[in-house]
Amino acid sequence: MFGRKRKDRMKKEPFDILSNIFVTFFAVLSLFPLYWLFTSSLKNSSDVVKMPPDWFPKTMTLSNYIEVFNSQPALRWTFNSLVVSLVATVALIIVSCLAAYAFSKMRFKGKNVLFIMFISSLMVPKEVVIVPLFRVIQDLGMVNTLNGMIWPNVATAFGVFLLKGFFDGIPDSLRESAKIDGASEIKILYKIMLPIVKPGIGALFILNFVQVWNDYLWQLVVGQENEVKTLMVGVATLMQDLNPNFAYKMAGATVAAIPMLVIFLLFQSYFTRGISVGAVKE
Amino acid sequence: MFKKNLFKGFLMMAIASLLLSACSSGDKGSKGTEKGEDGKDKVQLTLWLTPQWEGVLDASEEGANHDSFFKHAAERFSEEYDEYDVDVKVEVVASDQRDELLNVNLNGGTPPDIFYESVFAMGEYAHRGALVPLDDAIDEDAKSDIGEAYWDNVTFGDEVYFYPFSHMPGTLSYNADMFKAAGLEEYIGDEDGIQTWTLDEYNTILETLKTDLPKDEYTNAFPMSLYALNDQGDTWNLAYLRMFGNEFFDEDGNIILDDANGAKAAEWLKHIYDEGLTNPGAESVSSNDTIAMFQNQQLAINFTNSVLFNNMKADMESGQVPEFDARLANIPSESGDPLTFTYVTGSAVFDSGDETKIKVAKDFVKFYSSDEELVKSSKNGVPVRSSVAEQYADENPLFAAFDENAEYVFSFTGNVPGYSQLRQVLYPELQALYTGEKTPEEVVKSYQEKGNVIIQESKEDSVIFNK
Repeated sequence: MFGRKRKDRMKKEPFDILSNIFVTFFAVLSLFPLYWLFTSSLKNSSDVVKMPPDWFPKTMTLSNYIEVFNSQPALRWTFNSLVVSLVATVALIIVSCLAAYAFSKMRFKGKNVLFIMFISSLMVPKEVVIVPLFRVIQDLGMVNTLNGMIWPNVATAFGVFLLKGFFDGIPDSLRESAKIDGASEIKILYKIMLPIVKPGIGALFILNFVQVWNDYLWQLVVGQENEVKTLMVGVATLMQDLNPNFAYKMAGATVAAIPMLVIFLLFQSYFTRGISVGAVKE
Repeated sequence: MFKKNLFKGFLMMAIASLLLSACSSGDKGSKGTEKGEDGKDKVQLTLWLTPQWEGVLDASEEGANHDSFFKHAAERFSEEYDEYDVDVKVEVVASDQRDELLNVNLNGGTPPDIFYESVFAMGEYAHRGALVPLDDAIDEDAKSDIGEAYWDNVTFGDEVYFYPFSHMPGTLSYNADMFKAAGLEEYIGDEDGIQTWTLDEYNTILETLKTDLPKDEYTNAFPMSLYALNDQGDTWNLAYLRMFGNEFFDEDGNIILDDANGAKAAEWLKHIYDEGLTNPGAESVSSNDTIAMFQNQQLAINFTNSVLFNNMKADMESGQVPEFDARLANIPSESGDPLTFTYVTGSAVFDSGDETKIKVAKDFVKFYSSDEELVKSSKNGVPVRSSVAEQYADENPLFAAFDENAEYVFSFTGNVPGYSQLRQVLYPELQALYTGEKTPEEVVKSYQEKGNVIIQESKEDSVIFNK
């Protein structure tokens, strides 16, 4: 019996090695654009497009980063991006948790119709509503403010849809028992439900943070003044027709990518758990 | 534990950010007027520009930025203007952000008061009725100092919609060192001039560069640039399509590329591409890519304009780009007359619906477009004013060469409505040409058909055509 197991293991080993090589190859391949972005930002402009390319910069310079931070308010843009993404995401999580809990666990008239209407809004691209939305934000005096970039991102159907799936996975008996014990609806949500759907919240946090961070079009039209621009919009202004300094652009793009990478690294365990939880029904 | 703290930490940060964002500045853009400190009515204008030159007079100034000139002009205007207490907010927007921003703001009823940009990119807004005519802001001095060709460029229908400031002629640039290395000394022009080749000479140059350029010295180098990834730099592609005498637009503003000359031009492009006289993969190469390749001496001939050329020279001096002998040449044609065009840059005033703001905006545009000191900044491009061009002729000998070239300038937009949409039609056709998906004849036919539909629809919507 043990002999057969060893035989199986021996058969598996070459396969494991091969699959590991395969996976490592693709991991390196997918990391290569990031590597190229970063190393190019340390080169001179002409070295970026050199043929054959310098896979590792022969001469390294920080002048592109110095230029980005000296000639543009890049720190302010980074701060704005962080504030907008963070506040919008936390607010979205709060709103989505409340709405998803209601749709999942509470009984009220027209619940399903309302939920379908809610979900239907996912099919409407933002570009379609951008003009009316801009007018609303304008009337509220929020053009050229961070508030104008934050609040339209708070009520989205995606968050409700994602979290409802997690709440649906929690047995109703748990809520009923808590109710019998005298817990209020808010207490049930906060003390019992939320800790269970934490992976979902983590996944939503990352997904929405990235979405808001990259919400170029909306941030472009709302943040027209240099001081309220976000990093994505600000970095795009470095891409000028008359200044094809690729290394400078790469430095800007690297600055824009770093905060997102950090957020992903910090929350990756929530993200992977959040994604995989829904995969298995028990 | 760490994760719990992390979560709490982020929550705290978010609350702090929420407070900060709530305290951030609101929209200070004022509609209409209010009283200023000095008793004069206060008017706030917004001026947008796409990145042009840096600094007030030039980029050598400390802290020079793209908005320096307009901020300085605004300060002076506020001090000197008697009628209102004027505050001008200056914002730089990237060229590819221009239309998105303008369209949303026009729909929202909050266009900028002034936009400083190339006329070709903004002509559409004149046709849409978003701009106000500037004829009443232009005096006789300006009319006599600025050449007729530039006024034609900014006139839509019978009215002037842009106050011209400078222009940016489009030519070719070539690497004279590569020419020498390939034994093409006889084709090298004057250092401060714009060389004109016949089409036969140009074909010889391309073929010689392909065969005789030392491969060890110039690895992976190609004779000429060709690109069709997007609409950037498409004016040179339009010029190539005129090489065999096609006029491109008829008198009514319709495209007439679908004839023997148009097809011949498209065939020539396909021929040089197939023969390896250009960079490969033109369908997926952008104009920006070719600029970098030219700077890296992987291309011997590339497109350029006066600003790009000056920027490259400056980068060579600062060591950002390897130094080589770069010179200018005209786009050749079968007739022997060079093909050249120019981007006139100037200011447009948007119809904000507020008569006071429109009046002050026009006064401000007139101020910086005619003030003796401020117009000197137009030397960063090529001045449209003869007085400024003469003043800086010694400093920039190319000004005289551009002036000589002026008689060959053609209007690449034809000032037709829908030009920006037309641009979206050209590059897919060129891609089809280079990939062999379409024959040259099919390309010019298809471009003409699609282009004329756009022009026709745009004419129907144009306030200028329907006046």
